[in-house]
Amino acid sequence: MQRKAQLILVYFIFIAILIYFSLPSLWLFLSVFNAHAAPFIEIPKKPTLINFVKVFKDYNFSTYLFNSVFVSTITMILVTLTASLAGYSLSRWQSKYKNHIIYSILLLRTIPTSATMIPIYSLMRTLHLRNSYLGLILIYTAGQLPFLIWLIEQFFDTIPPEMEEAAWIDGSSYLRTLFSIVMPIAKPGIAVIAILSFRAAWSESVLVLVLIDSEHLQTIPRAFYEAIRTMGGSYIEYRYEIVATMGLFFLLPLMIIFLITHKYFVKGMLGGAIK
Amino acid sequence: MGKRYRNASYPHQNECDIVRRSRYLFWGFLPAGILIVLFFITPAIWGVYSSMTNMALVGKAARHLQFIGFQNYLKLITDSAFFTAIMNSVKYVVGGAIIGQFLLGLGLALLLEYTEKKGIKGGNVVYGFVMLAWLTPALVSGFEWGAMYDYYYGTLNNILKLLGLSKINWLGKTPMLAVIIANIWQGTAFSMMVFDSALKTIPVELYEAAKMDGASHWQSIRYITLPLIKNIAIIDLINITMVTFGVFLMIMAITNGGPGMKTTTLSLYAYRAAFENYRIGYGCSIAMVLLAINLIFGFTYLKVLKKIS
Repeated sequence: MQRKAQLILVYFIFIAILIYFSLPSLWLFLSVFNAHAAPFIEIPKKPTLINFVKVFKDYNFSTYLFNSVFVSTITMILVTLTASLAGYSLSRWQSKYKNHIIYSILLLRTIPTSATMIPIYSLMRTLHLRNSYLGLILIYTAGQLPFLIWLIEQFFDTIPPEMEEAAWIDGSSYLRTLFSIVMPIAKPGIAVIAILSFRAAWSESVLVLVLIDSEHLQTIPRAFYEAIRTMGGSYIEYRYEIVATMGLFFLLPLMIIFLITHKYFVKGMLGGAIK
Repeated sequence: MGKRYRNASYPHQNECDIVRRSRYLFWGFLPAGILIVLFFITPAIWGVYSSMTNMALVGKAARHLQFIGFQNYLKLITDSAFFTAIMNSVKYVVGGAIIGQFLLGLGLALLLEYTEKKGIKGGNVVYGFVMLAWLTPALVSGFEWGAMYDYYYGTLNNILKLLGLSKINWLGKTPMLAVIIANIWQGTAFSMMVFDSALKTIPVELYEAAKMDGASHWQSIRYITLPLIKNIAIIDLINITMVTFGVFLMIMAITNGGPGMKTTTLSLYAYRAAFENYRIGYGCSIAMVLLAINLIFGFTYLKVLKKIS
């Protein structure tokens, strides 16, 4: 009897939490398949895929999709290369200042974009790097480096240094040893920072607002912002289903990436407080 | 992660090797170092400079850039909107992060742990939807909640109507509560994950011993679980405080800081000053205040982290 009462209580709490957490997401998913979605949650009477066609045909979504994939991919390549080199160097560096450097890197990571976005705007405007892929990619890369260098540095720490030394003694050059011995062992760690950097570039939505105006350079977050701003208003009927479809495209890769890497999220975000 | 080799030295090396290798390691660090200095540290320093100019995008100041010293900061102290924004940030952080995300996250982690132990099903569905909210980009979350709160057709008011209650003007009458509810919705997963993995590190033997001594479930939570996760709770609190203090996109999507200034937090105020009123120099001075506050959080965070690990 007590067990039954306990079960009822647990499921009561579960349902209350599920209603709170699932309603907004369910509304988004259902609206995508509705030809005319409203702000309240309803199962589409005639489910349709027309919205997927519409965003590409009428709302220029292929440009935004391309820009997002392009910017995120190049950022991922740049970050992966520079962060793994830097992480390895930091891991093998023998110095009493090493911990200072690692803590400074962690400190940089705690600075939010909102504290740097206006100076970044001002600087990039002065350098004429606004409205360019290059400016966006450089800012994205630099912004992610502190966290990812720190993450991959910890990974290199787990690879025994004796292996490289044995190769050096056999006459292999530093660079060759790095690429033929160390990097292959570090592959899983490098894969993780590649995925995380892609994810960060894909979802970044503040700096792209500040740095990109040109329509043909807009990424998905920038276009989505434009969509929520312009598709509503007092005299225009709000196109919820179109905005929802764009939102789904924005969200879906993040869901997939999370399923692949969710082990590393907590560890990374807590700065090593939990082993 | 197994064995760690941090600060381990190579077994066969002499002074000469160390110098030569340091040089080669320096080249390895250089590309990342240059990028961080140019596009991360330079903007921060540039912000100090910009905050002392009258840089603007429209009007006379747009054509004549002048160095004006601390005038922006003086203006800031007399700007009542600035203090409103700080108070809003405090409300947002205390209500959303410190009370909402923290307590709900801790409670969820304890509940999920408990149901898993007792073999009660359904916990992973709850976990999944809480995570999904966290994964949803801030702008998309703002769009979803904007629809939820819609006065005439929104899901929330429709539910109230079904229950025979009267509609609530969420965004007009209780806008701060509305954005805090949305913030808790989005942020709780982080604390839940943190406490979830912290609970898994507590050895089962401790609970078994307590049970044999006749401790109830609540007693073992109070006297075993909570003291053991205290440090992690502190880290989590600082973390979610920093994050919640810095974000503004979701508020921007739901209310754009309105009505009036009612939901304009400090970071949103910086954005609005710079990009809606086009006063870049003034916006930079707000950004520098944000930066200073965050550095205080950041140093505290590192200090606690060092103490714990």
